[in-house]
Amino acid sequence: MEYQKAAELNGLCNGKIVTEYLCRNGFSELTVDAKKVAVQHKNETSRKEAEDESRLPALEEAYTTILRGLGENTDRQGLLKTPLRAAKAMQFLTKGYHETIYDVLNDAIFDEDHEELVIVKDIDMFSLCEHHLVPFFGKVHIGYLPSKKVVGLSKLARIVEIYSRRLQVQERLTKQIAMAISEALQPVGVAVVIEAARMCMVMRGVQKMNSRTVTSAMLGVFREDPKAREEFLALTKGAQ
Amino acid sequence: MERSKQKQMNESENEADSAINGHFDGRVKIPGWSAGGAAGTPSTAPSSSVMESWREERTRSLEDNELSLPSIAAAYTTILRGLGEDPQRQGLLKTPWRAATAMQFFTKGYQEKIIDVLNDAIFDEDHDEMVIVKDIDMFSMCEHHLVPIFGRVHIGYLPNKRVLGLSKLARIVEIYSRRLQVQERLTKQIAVAITEALQPAGVGVVVEATHMCMVMRGVQKMNSKTVTSTMLGVFREDPKTRDEFLTLIRS
Repeated sequence: MEYQKAAELNGLCNGKIVTEYLCRNGFSELTVDAKKVAVQHKNETSRKEAEDESRLPALEEAYTTILRGLGENTDRQGLLKTPLRAAKAMQFLTKGYHETIYDVLNDAIFDEDHEELVIVKDIDMFSLCEHHLVPFFGKVHIGYLPSKKVVGLSKLARIVEIYSRRLQVQERLTKQIAMAISEALQPVGVAVVIEAARMCMVMRGVQKMNSRTVTSAMLGVFREDPKAREEFLALTKGAQ
Repeated sequence: MERSKQKQMNESENEADSAINGHFDGRVKIPGWSAGGAAGTPSTAPSSSVMESWREERTRSLEDNELSLPSIAAAYTTILRGLGEDPQRQGLLKTPWRAATAMQFFTKGYQEKIIDVLNDAIFDEDHDEMVIVKDIDMFSMCEHHLVPIFGRVHIGYLPNKRVLGLSKLARIVEIYSRRLQVQERLTKQIAVAITEALQPAGVGVVVEATHMCMVMRGVQKMNSKTVTSTMLGVFREDPKTRDEFLTLIRS
Protein backbone atom coordinates (compact mmCIF):
# COMPACT_ATOMS: atom_id res chain seq x y z
CA MET A 1 0.00 0.00 0.00
CA GLU A 2 1.27 3.41 -0.89
CA TYR A 3 0.99 4.93 2.52
CA GLN A 4 3.23 2.32 4.00
CA LYS A 5 6.07 3.53 1.92
CA ALA A 6 5.63 7.06 3.17
CA ALA A 7 6.41 5.76 6.58
CA GLU A 8 9.71 4.46 5.32
CA LEU A 9 10.95 7.93 4.91
CA ASN A 10 12.76 8.01 8.14
CA GLY A 11 14.28 5.22 10.01
CA LEU A 12 14.62 2.88 7.14
CA CYS A 13 17.11 3.11 4.40
CA ASN A 14 14.82 2.32 1.50
CA GLY A 15 14.15 5.93 0.79
CA LYS A 16 11.23 5.66 -1.61
CA ILE A 17 9.58 9.00 -1.92
CA VAL A 18 5.83 8.94 -2.12
CA THR A 19 3.90 11.88 -3.38
CA GLU A 20 0.43 10.94 -2.35
CA TYR A 21 -1.18 9.31 0.58
CA LEU A 22 -3.96 6.85 0.06
CA CYS A 23 -5.80 7.83 3.16
CA ARG A 24 -7.30 10.85 1.55
CA ASN A 25 -10.77 9.52 1.88
CA GLY A 26 -10.53 8.42 5.45
CA PHE A 27 -10.68 4.76 5.95
CA SER A 28 -13.10 3.73 3.27
CA GLU A 29 -10.30 2.43 1.13
CA LEU A 30 -8.52 0.55 3.82
CA THR A 31 -8.54 -3.14 3.74
CA VAL A 32 -6.65 -4.01 6.81
CA ASP A 33 -5.64 -7.42 7.76
CA ALA A 34 -7.08 -7.98 11.22
CA LYS A 35 -3.86 -9.41 12.54
CA LYS A 36 -1.65 -6.71 11.17
CA VAL A 37 -1.18 -4.19 13.88
CA ALA A 38 1.64 -2.01 12.81
CA VAL A 39 2.47 -0.19 9.64
CA GLN A 40 6.12 -0.06 10.36
CA HIS A 41 8.02 -2.89 8.87
CA LYS A 42 7.38 -4.73 11.97
CA ASN A 43 10.63 -6.13 13.03
CA GLU A 44 12.99 -4.02 11.06
CA THR A 45 14.68 -1.01 12.42
CA SER A 46 17.50 0.79 10.73
CA ARG A 47 19.48 0.79 13.89
CA LYS A 48 19.84 -1.87 16.49
CA GLU A 49 20.48 -0.89 20.03
CA ALA A 50 23.31 -3.36 20.29
CA GLU A 51 25.14 -1.65 17.46
CA ASP A 52 25.17 1.74 19.09
CA GLU A 53 28.31 1.05 21.06
CA SER A 54 30.23 -0.03 18.03
CA ARG A 55 29.31 3.08 16.11
CA LEU A 56 30.50 5.44 18.79
CA PRO A 57 34.16 5.76 17.72
CA ALA A 58 33.25 6.95 14.25
CA LEU A 59 30.82 9.46 15.68
CA GLU A 60 33.42 10.64 18.16
CA GLU A 61 35.93 11.27 15.44
CA ALA A 62 33.38 13.18 13.44
CA TYR A 63 32.64 15.41 16.41
CA THR A 64 36.32 16.02 17.03
CA THR A 65 36.65 17.16 13.42
CA ILE A 66 33.72 19.49 13.87
CA LEU A 67 35.14 21.03 17.03
CA ARG A 68 38.47 21.65 15.36
CA GLY A 69 36.80 23.05 12.29
CA LEU A 70 34.96 25.54 14.47
CA GLY A 71 38.24 26.87 15.78
CA GLU A 72 38.13 25.34 19.22
CA ASN A 73 40.98 23.72 21.06
CA THR A 74 39.96 20.12 21.63
CA ASP A 75 42.58 19.60 24.31
CA ARG A 76 41.18 22.02 26.78
CA GLN A 77 39.66 20.61 29.90
CA GLY A 78 36.04 21.37 29.12
CA LEU A 79 36.21 19.75 25.70
CA LEU A 80 38.25 16.64 26.40
CA LYS A 81 35.35 14.24 26.51
CA THR A 82 32.91 16.30 24.54
CA PRO A 83 33.03 14.21 21.35
CA LEU A 84 32.02 11.14 23.31
CA ARG A 85 29.29 12.96 25.21
CA ALA A 86 27.97 14.62 22.09
CA ALA A 87 27.94 11.31 20.21
CA LYS A 88 26.01 9.62 23.00
CA ALA A 89 23.64 12.56 23.26
CA MET A 90 22.97 12.40 19.54
CA GLN A 91 22.32 8.69 19.75
CA PHE A 92 19.87 9.30 22.57
CA LEU A 93 18.13 12.05 20.66
CA THR A 94 17.66 9.68 17.71
CA LYS A 95 16.74 6.60 19.68
CA GLY A 96 13.45 6.39 17.87
CA TYR A 97 15.27 4.47 15.20
CA HIS A 98 15.64 1.53 17.55
CA GLU A 99 12.01 1.00 18.16
CA THR A 100 9.02 -0.13 16.22
CA ILE A 101 5.38 0.50 16.93
CA TYR A 102 4.81 -3.19 16.99
CA ASP A 103 6.96 -3.61 20.09
CA VAL A 104 5.30 -0.83 21.93
CA LEU A 105 1.68 -1.38 21.16
CA ASN A 106 1.08 -5.04 20.82
CA ASP A 107 -0.06 -5.74 24.32
CA ALA A 108 -2.02 -2.69 25.18
CA ILE A 109 -4.97 -2.77 22.81
CA PHE A 110 -8.19 -3.60 24.55
CA ASP A 111 -11.73 -4.24 23.42
CA GLU A 112 -13.97 -1.65 25.01
CA ASP A 113 -17.39 -0.55 24.03
CA HIS A 114 -16.49 3.10 24.11
CA GLU A 115 -17.42 5.41 21.28
CA GLU A 116 -16.68 8.83 22.63
CA LEU A 117 -13.70 11.00 21.96
CA VAL A 118 -10.50 10.12 23.81
CA ILE A 119 -7.89 12.86 24.03
CA VAL A 120 -4.38 12.91 25.46
CA LYS A 121 -2.98 16.40 25.31
CA ASP A 122 0.10 18.41 26.22
CA ILE A 123 2.49 15.57 25.53
CA ASP A 124 5.96 17.15 25.56
CA MET A 125 7.80 16.37 22.40
CA PHE A 126 11.48 16.85 21.53
CA SER A 127 12.78 16.21 18.08
CA LEU A 128 15.61 17.15 15.74
CA CYS A 129 15.15 19.13 12.57
CA GLU A 130 16.49 16.98 9.76
CA HIS A 131 17.63 19.97 7.78
CA HIS A 132 19.83 21.65 10.36
CA LEU A 133 20.23 19.02 13.07
CA VAL A 134 18.94 21.52 15.60
CA PRO A 135 16.20 20.68 18.13
CA PHE A 136 12.57 21.59 17.91
CA PHE A 137 10.23 20.95 20.76
CA GLY A 138 6.68 21.50 21.73
CA LYS A 139 3.46 19.79 22.65
CA VAL A 140 1.44 17.11 20.93
CA HIS A 141 -2.31 16.70 21.33
CA ILE A 142 -3.83 13.43 20.18
CA GLY A 143 -7.48 12.54 19.96
CA TYR A 144 -9.24 9.51 18.54
CA LEU A 145 -12.75 8.15 18.28
CA PRO A 146 -12.46 4.46 19.06
CA SER A 147 -14.35 1.79 17.27
CA LYS A 148 -14.48 -1.03 19.75
CA LYS A 149 -10.76 -0.92 20.41
CA VAL A 150 -8.95 1.40 22.77
CA VAL A 151 -5.26 1.70 23.44
CA GLY A 152 -3.44 2.14 26.74
CA LEU A 153 -3.08 5.88 27.15
CA SER A 154 0.60 6.01 27.81
CA LYS A 155 1.08 4.16 24.55
CA LEU A 156 0.01 7.27 22.73
CA ALA A 157 2.86 9.09 24.40
CA ARG A 158 5.19 6.26 23.49
CA ILE A 159 4.19 6.50 19.87
CA VAL A 160 5.06 10.18 20.02
CA GLU A 161 8.43 9.31 21.50
CA ILE A 162 9.28 6.75 18.87
CA TYR A 163 8.59 9.08 16.01
CA SER A 164 9.87 12.27 17.52
CA ARG A 165 13.26 10.92 18.60
CA ARG A 166 14.43 10.92 14.98
CA LEU A 167 15.54 13.36 12.35
CA GLN A 168 12.20 14.81 11.49
CA VAL A 169 10.14 17.25 9.56
CA GLN A 170 7.24 18.44 11.69
CA GLU A 171 4.66 17.67 9.01
CA ARG A 172 5.88 14.15 8.63
CA LEU A 173 6.00 13.60 12.36
CA THR A 174 2.35 14.58 12.68
CA LYS A 175 1.34 12.29 9.89
CA GLN A 176 3.34 9.34 11.15
CA ILE A 177 1.76 9.55 14.58
CA ALA A 178 -1.71 9.71 13.06
CA MET A 179 -1.05 6.82 10.70
CA ALA A 180 0.39 4.64 13.42
CA ILE A 181 -2.67 5.07 15.60
CA SER A 182 -5.08 4.57 12.77
CA GLU A 183 -3.46 1.37 11.66
CA ALA A 184 -3.12 -0.03 15.13
CA LEU A 185 -6.68 0.58 16.21
CA GLN A 186 -8.73 1.16 13.09
CA PRO A 187 -10.66 3.87 14.90
CA VAL A 188 -13.43 5.96 13.46
CA GLY A 189 -11.11 8.93 13.35
CA VAL A 190 -7.75 10.24 14.57
CA ALA A 191 -6.60 13.81 15.10
CA VAL A 192 -3.09 14.92 15.95
CA VAL A 193 -2.00 18.52 16.51
CA ILE A 194 1.60 19.54 17.15
CA GLU A 195 2.63 23.00 18.26
CA ALA A 196 6.37 23.46 18.35
CA ALA A 197 9.11 26.03 18.65
CA ARG A 198 11.83 25.43 16.11
CA MET A 199 15.33 26.34 17.24
CA CYS A 200 16.41 26.53 13.60
CA MET A 201 14.14 29.58 13.32
CA VAL A 202 14.78 30.97 16.78
CA MET A 203 18.52 30.55 17.21
CA ARG A 204 19.59 31.21 13.62
CA GLY A 205 18.24 32.28 10.27
CA VAL A 206 15.27 34.57 10.73
CA GLN A 207 15.66 34.56 14.53
CA LYS A 208 12.06 34.99 15.48
CA MET A 209 11.92 34.22 19.19
CA ASN A 210 8.24 33.80 19.69
CA SER A 211 7.19 32.02 16.55
CA ARG A 212 5.48 28.65 16.82
CA THR A 213 4.75 26.14 14.09
CA VAL A 214 1.46 24.28 14.29
CA THR A 215 0.74 21.21 12.17
CA SER A 216 -2.18 18.86 12.28
CA ALA A 217 -3.33 15.59 10.79
CA MET A 218 -7.02 14.73 10.69
CA LEU A 219 -8.05 11.29 9.56
CA GLY A 220 -11.40 9.60 9.25
CA VAL A 221 -14.36 11.28 10.84
CA PHE A 222 -12.24 14.21 11.99
CA ARG A 223 -11.56 15.04 8.40
CA GLU A 224 -15.11 14.62 7.18
CA ASP A 225 -17.17 15.93 10.04
CA PRO A 226 -16.52 19.54 11.06
CA LYS A 227 -18.34 19.12 14.35
CA ALA A 228 -16.07 16.32 15.51
CA ARG A 229 -13.06 18.40 14.58
CA GLU A 230 -14.43 21.39 16.45
CA GLU A 231 -15.00 19.35 19.55
CA PHE A 232 -11.45 18.06 19.47
CA LEU A 233 -9.95 21.50 18.90
CA ALA A 234 -12.07 23.06 21.62
CA LEU A 235 -11.08 20.44 24.14
CA THR A 236 -7.38 20.73 23.38
CA LYS A 237 -7.39 24.51 23.45
CA GLY A 238 -9.24 24.41 26.73
CA ALA A 239 -6.81 24.40 29.59
CA GLN A 240 -3.61 25.58 27.99
CA MET B 1 43.34 29.96 11.72
CA GLU B 2 45.93 27.33 12.36
CA ARG B 3 48.70 29.89 12.43
CA SER B 4 47.10 32.23 14.90
CA LYS B 5 46.11 29.33 17.09
CA GLN B 6 49.68 27.97 17.02
CA LYS B 7 50.99 31.31 18.13
CA GLN B 8 48.55 31.40 20.98
CA MET B 9 49.30 27.85 21.99
CA ASN B 10 53.02 28.56 22.08
CA GLU B 11 52.51 31.61 24.19
CA SER B 12 50.33 29.75 26.57
CA GLU B 13 52.76 26.96 27.20
CA ASN B 14 54.20 28.92 30.05
CA GLU B 15 50.84 29.28 31.68
CA ALA B 16 49.48 26.64 33.93
CA ASP B 17 45.97 26.83 32.54
CA SER B 18 45.07 25.72 29.10
CA ALA B 19 43.14 27.99 26.82
CA ILE B 20 39.59 28.70 27.80
CA ASN B 21 36.94 29.07 25.13
CA GLY B 22 39.48 28.95 22.36
CA HIS B 23 41.41 31.97 23.56
CA PHE B 24 44.73 32.51 25.11
CA ASP B 25 44.26 32.52 28.82
CA GLY B 26 45.96 35.23 30.79
CA ARG B 27 45.61 36.33 34.35
CA VAL B 28 43.25 39.24 34.33
CA LYS B 29 44.33 42.51 35.78
CA ILE B 30 41.25 44.59 36.21
CA PRO B 31 42.49 48.13 35.86
CA GLY B 32 40.95 50.56 38.22
CA TRP B 33 40.06 48.28 41.06
CA SER B 34 43.30 48.08 42.94
CA ALA B 35 44.35 51.54 41.79
CA GLY B 36 41.29 52.92 43.49
CA GLY B 37 39.77 54.05 40.21
CA ALA B 38 36.38 52.97 41.42
CA ALA B 39 35.15 55.61 43.82
CA GLY B 40 36.84 54.75 47.04
CA THR B 41 36.06 51.09 47.16
CA PRO B 42 38.84 49.29 48.96
CA SER B 43 38.02 46.06 47.28
CA THR B 44 40.52 43.38 46.61
CA ALA B 45 40.68 42.90 42.89
CA PRO B 46 38.84 39.72 42.01
CA SER B 47 41.51 37.89 40.15
CA SER B 48 40.06 35.58 37.59
CA SER B 49 41.48 33.48 34.89
CA VAL B 50 38.96 34.79 32.41
CA MET B 51 40.21 36.38 29.26
CA GLU B 52 41.35 39.90 29.19
CA SER B 53 38.99 40.65 26.43
CA TRP B 54 40.67 43.67 24.98
CA ARG B 55 43.70 41.71 24.07
CA GLU B 56 41.95 38.72 22.59
CA GLU B 57 43.19 37.37 19.36
CA ARG B 58 40.47 36.55 16.91
CA THR B 59 40.57 32.79 16.45
CA ARG B 60 38.41 32.54 13.42
CA SER B 61 37.84 34.60 10.33
CA LEU B 62 35.29 34.38 7.58
CA GLU B 63 37.87 32.74 5.33
CA ASP B 64 38.52 30.15 8.01
CA ASN B 65 34.84 29.40 8.04
CA GLU B 66 34.77 28.76 4.34
CA LEU B 67 37.86 26.64 4.43
CA SER B 68 36.68 24.40 7.23
CA LEU B 69 33.14 23.98 5.92
CA PRO B 70 33.83 20.88 3.76
CA SER B 71 35.47 18.97 6.58
CA ILE B 72 32.70 19.83 9.01
CA ALA B 73 30.12 18.81 6.43
CA ALA B 74 31.91 15.51 5.87
CA ALA B 75 31.91 14.93 9.60
CA TYR B 76 28.16 15.49 9.69
CA THR B 77 27.67 12.98 6.90
CA THR B 78 29.55 10.43 8.99
CA ILE B 79 27.33 11.26 11.93
CA LEU B 80 24.16 10.78 9.90
CA ARG B 81 25.34 7.37 8.78
CA GLY B 82 26.41 6.44 12.26
CA LEU B 83 22.93 7.23 13.52
CA GLY B 84 21.35 4.81 11.09
CA GLU B 85 20.01 7.33 8.62
CA ASP B 86 20.41 7.37 4.87
CA PRO B 87 22.25 10.57 3.87
CA GLN B 88 21.06 10.15 0.29
CA ARG B 89 17.39 10.57 0.94
CA GLN B 90 15.81 13.75 -0.24
CA GLY B 91 15.37 15.43 3.11
CA LEU B 92 18.98 14.80 4.13
CA LEU B 93 20.83 15.55 0.91
CA LYS B 94 22.05 18.99 1.89
CA THR B 95 21.80 18.53 5.61
CA PRO B 96 25.55 18.20 6.26
CA TRP B 97 26.15 21.61 4.73
CA ARG B 98 23.19 23.21 6.46
CA ALA B 99 24.15 21.71 9.79
CA ALA B 100 27.77 22.83 9.36
CA THR B 101 26.74 26.38 8.50
CA ALA B 102 24.31 26.38 11.41
CA MET B 103 27.03 25.24 13.78
CA GLN B 104 29.36 27.94 12.53
CA PHE B 105 26.60 30.46 13.17
CA PHE B 106 26.09 29.15 16.68
CA THR B 107 29.79 29.66 17.37
CA LYS B 108 30.21 32.98 15.62
CA GLY B 109 31.31 34.54 18.87
CA TYR B 110 34.76 33.23 18.05
CA GLN B 111 34.97 35.61 15.12
CA GLU B 112 34.36 38.77 17.02
CA LYS B 113 36.27 40.90 19.44
CA ILE B 114 34.85 43.10 22.15
CA ILE B 115 37.06 45.92 21.02
CA ASP B 116 35.38 46.10 17.63
CA VAL B 117 31.96 46.22 19.10
CA LEU B 118 32.50 48.69 21.89
CA ASN B 119 35.09 51.17 20.85
CA ASP B 120 32.82 53.88 19.65
CA ALA B 121 29.96 53.69 22.05
CA ILE B 122 31.49 54.70 25.36
CA PHE B 123 30.36 58.14 26.42
CA ASP B 124 31.24 60.45 29.25
CA GLU B 125 28.11 61.15 31.24
CA ASP B 126 27.77 62.49 34.71
CA HIS B 127 25.43 59.70 35.72
CA ASP B 128 26.00 57.63 38.77
CA GLU B 129 22.75 55.78 39.20
CA MET B 130 22.20 52.16 38.32
CA VAL B 131 21.63 51.28 34.68
CA ILE B 132 19.91 47.99 33.96
CA VAL B 133 19.20 46.18 30.72
CA LYS B 134 17.13 43.09 31.36
CA ASP B 135 15.49 40.20 29.53
CA ILE B 136 18.18 39.95 26.87
CA ASP B 137 17.46 36.69 25.04
CA MET B 138 20.52 34.52 25.00
CA PHE B 139 21.29 31.41 22.93
CA SER B 140 24.40 29.40 23.53
CA MET B 141 25.76 25.87 23.06
CA CYS B 142 26.65 23.55 25.91
CA GLU B 143 30.32 22.69 25.51
CA HIS B 144 29.84 19.26 27.02
CA HIS B 145 27.07 17.91 24.82
CA LEU B 146 26.90 20.36 21.90
CA VAL B 147 23.21 20.94 22.58
CA PRO B 148 21.58 24.40 22.85
CA ILE B 149 21.19 26.48 25.98
CA PHE B 150 18.83 29.41 25.90
CA GLY B 151 17.52 31.89 28.35
CA ARG B 152 17.74 35.48 29.47
CA VAL B 153 20.48 37.74 30.69
CA HIS B 154 19.99 40.69 33.02
CA ILE B 155 22.82 43.20 33.28
CA GLY B 156 23.17 46.11 35.65
CA TYR B 157 26.04 48.47 36.26
CA LEU B 158 26.78 51.58 38.28
CA PRO B 159 28.64 53.93 35.98
CA ASN B 160 31.59 55.96 37.09
CA LYS B 161 31.53 58.86 34.66
CA ARG B 162 31.39 56.57 31.65
CA VAL B 163 28.31 54.97 30.19
CA LEU B 164 27.93 52.47 27.39
CA GLY B 165 25.52 52.43 24.47
CA LEU B 166 22.74 50.15 25.65
CA SER B 167 22.65 47.85 22.68
CA LYS B 168 26.35 47.24 23.24
CA LEU B 169 25.48 45.35 26.38
CA ALA B 170 23.37 43.03 24.25
CA ARG B 171 26.20 42.73 21.76
CA ILE B 172 28.60 41.71 24.50
CA VAL B 173 26.11 39.01 25.46
CA GLU B 174 25.98 37.86 21.84
CA ILE B 175 29.73 37.64 21.45
CA TYR B 176 30.19 35.50 24.53
CA SER B 177 27.09 33.40 24.22
CA ARG B 178 27.58 32.36 20.61
CA ARG B 179 30.34 29.97 21.66
CA LEU B 180 30.76 26.61 23.30
CA GLN B 181 30.04 27.66 26.82
CA VAL B 182 29.57 26.76 30.40
CA GLN B 183 26.95 29.01 31.97
CA GLU B 184 29.17 30.03 34.86
CA ARG B 185 31.92 31.12 32.54
CA LEU B 186 29.53 33.01 30.30
CA THR B 187 28.27 35.05 33.22
CA LYS B 188 31.76 35.88 34.34
CA GLN B 189 33.00 36.81 30.89
CA ILE B 190 30.15 39.26 30.37
CA ALA B 191 30.80 40.90 33.72
CA VAL B 192 34.53 41.14 33.18
CA ALA B 193 34.13 42.59 29.69
CA ILE B 194 31.91 45.38 30.95
CA THR B 195 34.27 46.04 33.81
CA GLU B 196 37.26 46.37 31.56
CA ALA B 197 35.45 48.55 29.09
CA LEU B 198 33.98 51.07 31.50
CA GLN B 199 35.68 50.73 34.86
CA PRO B 200 32.33 51.25 36.57
CA ALA B 201 31.71 51.29 40.27
CA GLY B 202 30.09 47.89 40.01
CA VAL B 203 28.61 45.35 37.63
CA GLY B 204 25.96 42.70 38.19
CA VAL B 205 25.06 40.00 35.66
CA VAL B 206 22.36 37.37 36.14
CA VAL B 207 21.83 34.59 33.58
CA GLU B 208 18.75 32.41 33.76
CA ALA B 209 18.75 29.58 31.25
CA THR B 210 17.25 26.27 30.23
CA HIS B 211 19.73 23.60 29.26
CA MET B 212 18.53 21.28 26.55
CA CYS B 213 21.07 18.73 27.75
CA MET B 214 18.96 18.41 30.91
CA VAL B 215 15.59 18.74 29.24
CA MET B 216 15.95 16.59 26.12
CA ARG B 217 18.22 13.92 27.52
CA GLY B 218 19.77 12.72 30.75
CA VAL B 219 17.57 13.60 33.70
CA GLN B 220 14.86 15.05 31.42
CA LYS B 221 13.50 17.69 33.73
CA MET B 222 11.33 19.89 31.53
CA ASN B 223 10.86 22.90 33.72
CA SER B 224 14.22 23.26 35.35
CA LYS B 225 16.15 26.51 34.97
CA THR B 226 19.73 27.26 35.91
CA VAL B 227 20.49 30.68 37.36
CA THR B 228 24.03 32.03 37.70
CA SER B 229 25.17 35.46 38.69
CA THR B 230 28.32 37.53 38.93
CA MET B 231 28.56 40.59 41.13
CA LEU B 232 31.62 42.78 40.89
CA GLY B 233 32.64 45.93 42.69
CA VAL B 234 30.03 47.69 44.72
CA PHE B 235 27.43 45.08 43.81
CA ARG B 236 29.51 42.54 45.63
CA GLU B 237 30.24 44.60 48.72
CA ASP B 238 27.09 46.55 49.29
CA PRO B 239 24.04 44.41 49.97
CA LYS B 240 21.67 47.31 49.40
CA THR B 241 22.89 47.88 45.87
CA ARG B 242 22.66 44.22 45.13
CA ASP B 243 19.12 44.12 46.50
CA GLU B 244 18.08 47.04 44.38
CA PHE B 245 19.46 45.34 41.29
CA LEU B 246 17.81 42.03 42.04
CA THR B 247 14.48 43.65 42.79
CA LEU B 248 14.52 45.71 39.64
CA ILE B 249 15.24 42.76 37.40
CA ARG B 250 12.48 40.80 38.99
CA SER B 251 9.78 43.40 38.54
